[in-house]
Amino acid sequence: MADGLTIPRTSTPAAGVRAPSVDIYAPQWRNFIFVAPFLFFFTTLLIFPLLWGMWLSFHKADTFSSGNFVGLGNYIRLFNDKVFLQSVWNTFYFVLLTVPTLALIGLFLALCLNRRTRTAAVLRTLFFSSSVLSVTIVTLIWRIVFIPNVGLLSTIYGWFGATAPAFISDPSLAMIGIAIATVWWCIGLPMMLFLSALQQIPQDIYEAAALDNANRWQTLRSITLPSIKRTFVLVIIIQIVLQFQLFGQAWLMTRGGPNNLTKPIVLYIYDTAFRRWDLGMGAAASEILFILILIAAMAQYLVARNKADQA
Amino acid sequence: MKMQKILFAAVSAGVMMLASPSLAATELTVQRFFGACDANFGTNADVGKAVGECGIITSLINKFNADNPDVHVNVTTVEWPGYDQLTAQFASGDAPDIVTIHESALSDYQSKGLLMPLDDLLKSVGVAPEAFTDAARTGATKDGKIYGLPIDSWTMLYHINMDLFKQAGLVNADGTPMLPKSPEELLAQAEQFKQKTGKPYFVQNLANETALYTRNLYTYLFQQDSDFFADPKHVKLNTPEAKKVVEMYKAIFDKGYTTKDLDYGGAINAFLAGDGGVQLNGTWVVGDNNAQSETKGTALNKGGYAVYPYPQLFGGAHAQYADGHTWAVSQKDRTPEQTAAIGKFLKFFADNDFEWSRTGHLPAYKAIITSDAFKALPHRNTIAAISDLGRPLPSAVQRQFAIQDIVGEEMSAAITGQKDVDAALADMESRVNELLANI
Repeated sequence: MADGLTIPRTSTPAAGVRAPSVDIYAPQWRNFIFVAPFLFFFTTLLIFPLLWGMWLSFHKADTFSSGNFVGLGNYIRLFNDKVFLQSVWNTFYFVLLTVPTLALIGLFLALCLNRRTRTAAVLRTLFFSSSVLSVTIVTLIWRIVFIPNVGLLSTIYGWFGATAPAFISDPSLAMIGIAIATVWWCIGLPMMLFLSALQQIPQDIYEAAALDNANRWQTLRSITLPSIKRTFVLVIIIQIVLQFQLFGQAWLMTRGGPNNLTKPIVLYIYDTAFRRWDLGMGAAASEILFILILIAAMAQYLVARNKADQA
Repeated sequence: MKMQKILFAAVSAGVMMLASPSLAATELTVQRFFGACDANFGTNADVGKAVGECGIITSLINKFNADNPDVHVNVTTVEWPGYDQLTAQFASGDAPDIVTIHESALSDYQSKGLLMPLDDLLKSVGVAPEAFTDAARTGATKDGKIYGLPIDSWTMLYHINMDLFKQAGLVNADGTPMLPKSPEELLAQAEQFKQKTGKPYFVQNLANETALYTRNLYTYLFQQDSDFFADPKHVKLNTPEAKKVVEMYKAIFDKGYTTKDLDYGGAINAFLAGDGGVQLNGTWVVGDNNAQSETKGTALNKGGYAVYPYPQLFGGAHAQYADGHTWAVSQKDRTPEQTAAIGKFLKFFADNDFEWSRTGHLPAYKAIITSDAFKALPHRNTIAAISDLGRPLPSAVQRQFAIQDIVGEEMSAAITGQKDVDAALADMESRVNELLANI
């Protein structure tokens, strides 16, 4: 027992044999346990529905039964459906209306509010506050603004004896009405992203510019904007992906009307799959939306990467 | 001795605990549309005091709960018509026990085996299908069985502001409103109305609306004897008859004889504010409009309120589109107590159908429609005719709500000038047929 205490038990190898060095980067299968919970949910909630959706899109299926394999039948029906093509155009039109507006207004607000004053802090909170509202509340607010005869807009126009534009029912204005509500709702995130980017620009560059007598426009063009280029691309990508998924505002404000002019792809999917019970065709439309978002996001990513490489 | 007492008490308590589940009220889940009005009628069980669809149905269910302590009904209120939600509930195996379904939508769910045939259950509680009106019985019967307890028949009506009609000179010598007898006369009267009052003849909810357009089209196709659904799997809507109807409504729109940008709520408010002569709305607002007309200071109180079926504008059948509401029961395994509780609920609504008919809907029972109490309700003398005029689509036509959306969208596009009438009718027909071919 005493020997056990006094003589250290070492694992000194026999002379001339070196212990194999441990490769700390070598795969250790037990580490899988750490990512298993994530992988489980990722597979069951994302990968499986994705593959199931693809499988459904090749079948004639309704809400209560999955029927025969129809090959590309659902896709052919889809591309022969004027309403689907209209909904694809509507979605692009909506993205075109909202994404640049969100990026530019977000940048403008961030530039204006990037200062350490109390007023700026209050205004930052105010502009961000709309983002926390649910889509139901947002559309309710804007319906109260747009509603004919008694709405806020009608009341204001009424003071001048004019008739307010019918943002909910006029074919040329309905999508613009939805875009206005969406920009008001979503402006918080782009503004915050731009603010955080602006605050990361080193102050000494501005000091150097000031020593060189650069005016505010030159500073903005040559220092601020190039420094937040990556954030700008990020905002664009995030907003494209988000706005492609327009649903709630269109459903609650116009129900996709008038004459399907505000029906986006997601509403088309909902209509087809859940109101007409044509699940196969709804799944096919979902796959098209998936591909469109993928292309849009990849294109943005590639353009941004090429430009960054050239720089 | 003491030990014996303790033991006795413990056993008694145990027996009580075991027995208590059978004493507990049987829970039923009921899902309905007709709106929410808990602020006004949430605790009211005096049905006679309630008005309007929401008020009456809320009070009826409160009364059922009060009268039947052994049954407790949990109500979920859904936005009209609630079928997207119901379909999802059926798909996930979480359907309510009892649910409001239009007769026109029953076949969608019945054809999938999702609804329980009610013949035996109704018989067990003493409700005989022979007591239903013909319209209600036809609407609730699918493949020879009853799949919903009919509670009414409804249709669209001409709700008339008599003060404005008097100003427009559109009143007969007997004080009744002068209604048109042809499309030309309708346009002429609408022009006269506009000239004399400076207001549009019609108050319509045309903003992103589909149901109103579709019901108008069906009515005037019936009146031209157009058998557009001769084959329930194939519609014929690109016809001269349909063109006549669409062109008539287009003329009304183009010449400013109707309100244009109003949604449903806006149209009701506009009519109650006296902004137009005739509101095209259903039987369900008769009670509310009549209550308004009896309230001093309102636009309808000024010269009175009248309500009539759609005028006969064409030379064919005397008919107009109609539908009905039913209570349907989902198909699932239930205990005898639960089934008996459902029977009680259905029997209660059959017994209280007079109260429901105060909304303005026509009752679903012959005994009530011929009763003096019903005839004594305001305006029933003018609208009782709809029990003969009302005509639904053939019951074998599935997805009637989806079809309604397509027909309404295309009609709206044609009437508001976004599409040529011929193109809209061609698209309407091909879209409906594409839908029906893929069921």
